[in-house]
Amino acid sequence: MTATDAPATEAPAIEAGHHQRIVDGLRGSLGDAVLDVVLERGDLWVRVDRSAWHGAFEAGKRKLGLTFFSFLSGIDWTPAPGLSGERTFKGEDADEGDEPVEEATEVRTGLAGGDTRFQVFARLFDVRRHVGVTLKADLDDADPSIDTVTDLFRGADWHERETWEMFGFTFDGHPGLRHLYLPAEFEGHPLRKDFPLLSREVKPWPGLVNVEQIPPHLDPKNQPAAEAPPSEAPASDAPAADAAPPAEGGTE
Amino acid sequence: MGLVEKGLLPKPLTKLLNTARSYSLWVYQWGLACCAIEMGAAFGSPRYDVMRLGVIPFPASARQADFVCVSGTATDKMAPPIRRLYEQMPDPKYVISMGSCANSGGPYWDSYSVLKGVDQIIPVDVYVPGCPPRPEALLEGIVLLQMKIRGEDMAERWRGEPLVVGGGLEHGGVPEEKQVAVLKARKKNPAPA
Amino acid sequence: MPDWKKAAYVAAQAADARVNVELEAEGMTLNIGPQHPATHGTLRIVCRLDGEQVVWADPVPGYMHRGYEKLCEVRNYPQINTLVNRIDWLGSFCNEVPFILAAEQLMEVEAPERAQWIRTIFFELGRQANLILFLGDVGTQLGAITPVFLAFRDREHVLNMIEAATGGRFHPNFDRIGGLKDDLPKGWLDETVSAMKRVEDFCDEVEDLMIGGTIFQQRTRGVGVIPAEVGLEYGLTGANIRASGIDWDLRRDSESPLAWKSADFKVVTHPDGDSFARCWVRLQEVRESARIVRQLCEGLPAGPIMAKVPKIIKVPAGEAYVETENPLGVMGYYLVSQGGLGPFRLKIRTPSFNNIAIAPWVLRGVYVPDVITILASLYFILGDIDR
Ligand code: SF4
Repeated sequence: MTATDAPATEAPAIEAGHHQRIVDGLRGSLGDAVLDVVLERGDLWVRVDRSAWHGAFEAGKRKLGLTFFSFLSGIDWTPAPGLSGERTFKGEDADEGDEPVEEATEVRTGLAGGDTRFQVFARLFDVRRHVGVTLKADLDDADPSIDTVTDLFRGADWHERETWEMFGFTFDGHPGLRHLYLPAEFEGHPLRKDFPLLSREVKPWPGLVNVEQIPPHLDPKNQPAAEAPPSEAPASDAPAADAAPPAEGGTE
Repeated sequence: MGLVEKGLLPKPLTKLLNTARSYSLWVYQWGLACCAIEMGAAFGSPRYDVMRLGVIPFPASARQADFVCVSGTATDKMAPPIRRLYEQMPDPKYVISMGSCANSGGPYWDSYSVLKGVDQIIPVDVYVPGCPPRPEALLEGIVLLQMKIRGEDMAERWRGEPLVVGGGLEHGGVPEEKQVAVLKARKKNPAPA
Repeated sequence: MPDWKKAAYVAAQAADARVNVELEAEGMTLNIGPQHPATHGTLRIVCRLDGEQVVWADPVPGYMHRGYEKLCEVRNYPQINTLVNRIDWLGSFCNEVPFILAAEQLMEVEAPERAQWIRTIFFELGRQANLILFLGDVGTQLGAITPVFLAFRDREHVLNMIEAATGGRFHPNFDRIGGLKDDLPKGWLDETVSAMKRVEDFCDEVEDLMIGGTIFQQRTRGVGVIPAEVGLEYGLTGANIRASGIDWDLRRDSESPLAWKSADFKVVTHPDGDSFARCWVRLQEVRESARIVRQLCEGLPAGPIMAKVPKIIKVPAGEAYVETENPLGVMGYYLVSQGGLGPFRLKIRTPSFNNIAIAPWVLRGVYVPDVITILASLYFILGDIDR
């Protein structure tokens, strides 16, 4: 916190017990279906059984004052070693005392745990008490389906359509799972970890090239008379080119 | 004008016609993403004032436009409307592709839903690089387009052969022998740049 | 009247009647977009009309879907910073901040105080750049051409300040994990304070010219009313929900490390929930934002602008959700890291997505010209809907 002066605008006080109240409320309505509760950095995560998904929303909306629907989405916990970020730094840039990143090969689920490959998560918020909760539920690997919450929160309609499109989860009782973003003939579920980005497989990231070589036919050394046009630099966020022209370039 | 189609128009007259065309361009704004705002700043703001270049923004429809400025990310879902719009424009028509996205896919080059440049669906005359290009860069692109129009052989244009700027040979579905012939002809008398 | 004239008159009447019967107005489908000035961007809306009334409307987004969430899984953190700038392209800096804050939360670094203040200043400049264009644009939708020229004119003052410090007119890419890329140039603060004067002048001008005018009020008052409960159910945020009377602004109500708590500003609300209220709230927000910037520029503390972070950024495993009050509403990043160079999953909660999801509900039963008014006042940016 950086505030030095007294806050000029009075915020309604945030009581410490609000998270506890939500947890108690959910436990009271759902019983054993509340599988895990995590309170970290002032935020609350609750994992419920998928049979209690709809019930959790209902309890949140009707009893606990969580009337604001923020978002709903999914996650695929398959480890994806090849995908976790770019290796932009190579050679002398990389020797900053950073050990190589170890790649996760086994499934590691996040806060509040999880047993299966797919999870849905959604966030509800209480605009009066300024407290929110992230609800999570595991989905069956073979048949990822869960109850819709569109009857409680009409805004969930588009979010469920998006999740259906991106992950292939079905929402039982949803009024119409149609494509939202992608053209109707699109195949596959892009946000699943096993969906390949074909452009990347065809060609590695162009920013890996530190300094692009001038093509031989444009090199001023080969054509002393001709003017060298500026070489087309790839649109990239490559680290600033070092001075040495014959840098170790080339794509991996 | 039959003369034009046969390529029999006398040179000075061609020049005159070309100059007239290059200074009365109606531009259709096909703004798609962030670059559209810079295009709006170039066309709509008093600071950059395109009308001094003889470019008239805001035509009522694509059917009245002389060139289209495609600015922003062209997605696969957007590709058919872009193509359809281009086909609605009357000949001669020109395309300015503004921004890295329209040129090549830009920051989304590896996305599953983004076209790797509008030149995959319509022929592009001038590429304006940048992410986003400044409005001044777009103005320079327009000046380049005007230079190109002035140096154009109208007969060639109206026979339907594609004009090649910056190596867009693969467009337009012209057979290869013809492309080579066009290239040879261009080598003999290059357009003033 | 001679007989033949009478007969002709009767025949004409009968023909008219027949036409009226034959012209079945019900079930006509009107397609707006995907490229239409009224949708500022490439949103497509399919309306089923009964005469002049909309019986059913369905927005079709996706013409700008660029696959952000997938791309973020294959980029590293500095690269994502570049990418997320382009979500809401009118107030780009505001997109960087919640992402950086989420990463900072997981890394347990905190930017120095000066950096937080400068972040707040840029955040508010982004808000102004965004909302000024909205105020101009909403005029165009209603047939007033002048405000958009004024908006582009006065927006340049804000963009100039952003450019002077960051080098980018509206994709600054200035925020870094642990601080900022650079300190401010000399003389920047004074210039910014004087630019705020221009912004306030613009607000006065727009209020005199448009928002206060009878035509504008008649076309927007009572049109597209959204009650607060419905708005909450759909997840409306920002000025849209504040115009329905919900007093909720994350700048004031959340424990954000940014410096809003040090500035004195009002959270503007309006009880009506109609199109006019939404435009009016946004107008006042620009004014409040100019006030915030002025106060922060005057009290800017000295000090470093970058905390100590490793050169190669790896975020420890964990999950964090950070949201801020962006020009369009609440923007949040749900960051899941597994300790790699890039996120394992990044869910981006964009405000426009929820704000426009209410369109089918609010457009039902309105007249066709009001469709434009309502969409303009709901205010969306396509990159923000489609990501
Ligand atoms: S080139 Fe850059 S600024 Fe232009 S549309 Fe693409 S991402 Fe946006």
